[in-house]
Amino acid sequence: MDEGILIAASRRGDAAAYDALVGAYQDRIYQVTYRVTGNPEDASDAAQEAFLKAFRSLRAFRGDAAFGTWLHRIAVNAALDIVRRRPPQTRDLPDAAATPTDAQDRELERRELQRRIHRAMLTLPTDQRVAVVLRDVQGLAYGEIASVLQVPVGTVRSRLSRAREALRHLLADLSPVAE
Amino acid sequence: MQVTHVTELLSPFLDDEIAPREREQVQRHLEVCPECRLQLESLRATLRLVRSLHPVKVPDGFRDQVRSRLSAVGEGSRERRRIPRWSWHVAAAAAVLIIGVFSVNLFREIRPIEQAVAPERGGVNLGAPGVTDLRSAPPVAPSAAQPQKTFPQFDGRKIVRTAQLAIDVDQFDDASRRLVQIAERAGGFVAESSYAEDNGVPTGSFTLRVPAARFAAVLAELDALGEITQRQISGQDVTEEFVDLQARIRNLERHEQRLLSFMDRATKVSDLLAIEEQLARVRGEIEQLTGRMRFLERSADLATVAVAVKQKAKRTSGGLWDISGTLSKMRAAFLATARQIAAAVEWLGVTVSALVPVLLLAVGAWLIIRRLRVARSS
Repeated sequence: MDEGILIAASRRGDAAAYDALVGAYQDRIYQVTYRVTGNPEDASDAAQEAFLKAFRSLRAFRGDAAFGTWLHRIAVNAALDIVRRRPPQTRDLPDAAATPTDAQDRELERRELQRRIHRAMLTLPTDQRVAVVLRDVQGLAYGEIASVLQVPVGTVRSRLSRAREALRHLLADLSPVAE
Repeated sequence: MQVTHVTELLSPFLDDEIAPREREQVQRHLEVCPECRLQLESLRATLRLVRSLHPVKVPDGFRDQVRSRLSAVGEGSRERRRIPRWSWHVAAAAAVLIIGVFSVNLFREIRPIEQAVAPERGGVNLGAPGVTDLRSAPPVAPSAAQPQKTFPQFDGRKIVRTAQLAIDVDQFDDASRRLVQIAERAGGFVAESSYAEDNGVPTGSFTLRVPAARFAAVLAELDALGEITQRQISGQDVTEEFVDLQARIRNLERHEQRLLSFMDRATKVSDLLAIEEQLARVRGEIEQLTGRMRFLERSADLATVAVAVKQKAKRTSGGLWDISGTLSKMRAAFLATARQIAAAVEWLGVTVSALVPVLLLAVGAWLIIRRLRVARSS
């Protein structure tokens, strides 16, 4: 169904229409809350709060921004609320089996890499982390990020520069071109 | 390199989020600066790493959780509002009110059963014209000479009032004594009394004559003697007959005067005898009519109250416990309570009926308000 129709129905309080919107956006929104909060529990809480808050304040949504952008803003704020209350934590995945096979080895290596990157991102100051998540995880353009965060594009650019520079140092050993 | 490095621009350069002029600047710098080239490659590798992050999977049941929380927010409030909370308070208050009114009345009714029964039946429903007014009229001494002063409030109308009562009393002697007192206090008397014993139960009949002005007051006093089992009140207007009598007497008196003047002028004995015979007839007629008039006057001035008094089956005669008395008390109490319940049910029904239109209006208003609120919130 057309997103515009679903949004209009949701604004009238149609829970079924909004449920469809939740279905369409839950994956994307969850990426944001997960990478900002750092763990699935907080990420799920933040995403739920975001969807509920969005439903409640849908009539305040005037369509001057894209619905997705608007939803991202709410999700970022919900995640930051949780982060402010308890600093980001990672949940370590259970340790690998004692004698890994080659395939398991590669899988473990891959997982370890994911974990490294994830943790590195969590060490960033929150505004830089949010910028990286929106840009490199969500793939938003600078202008969209500025719209989500309601900051000038120049701010987005500098935050991203600093965040990436930090990440470059943090992940230097993983990068073949590292100094 | 003497040229300033472009470190700050490398990140947006990689994103292609850079103004064309800046891009040129970066490209020119990179051609001459291996340091920045290296940094660019390092940054590009970092970006590649970050972008290699796998999308995480939304926890199972996430959408269901959101859905149930949504319905809890929306429908929860709607469900609960279907029966507004204040309605329970109103219902409780109404229940308390009804129970309070009911029990207060019940207590008031049960305590004086004897009194509660008697005034109800003996309530003043005097059908005779003007009797209730007489109650408030000041007692006037009977006077045949000035009949119009006896009933100033009736324009000299002559009304013969009679009442017949049957009273069951606890103590016959006591009741008969009080009967005489009532009559005398009212300025009247007991014209007739008789006494008999019926199966050991003393009965008696009394005829009281009391000033008409005190008629209603006397009846009220008699009510207090015992249980009234029979009551009949009548008022007969004899004004017309009275006036008629007066006119006829006046005519006869004039006739008498003429006869007397004839007698003065009569010379023959036979005429005298005839006149005298006529006079005697007229005189007799006058006496008769005057007697009737006096009777009417007395009847109107003094109301007649016939009271049949019967002593109730003695409570003490049966011994320690008067079963029938207890039974009648129980019956009275039962009836009083039943009447009270019926009255309460009736009151409830009437009240609810009275409230129905108001409630309908309130429900309608509430629905409209809710509709408006929902419309505004969506």
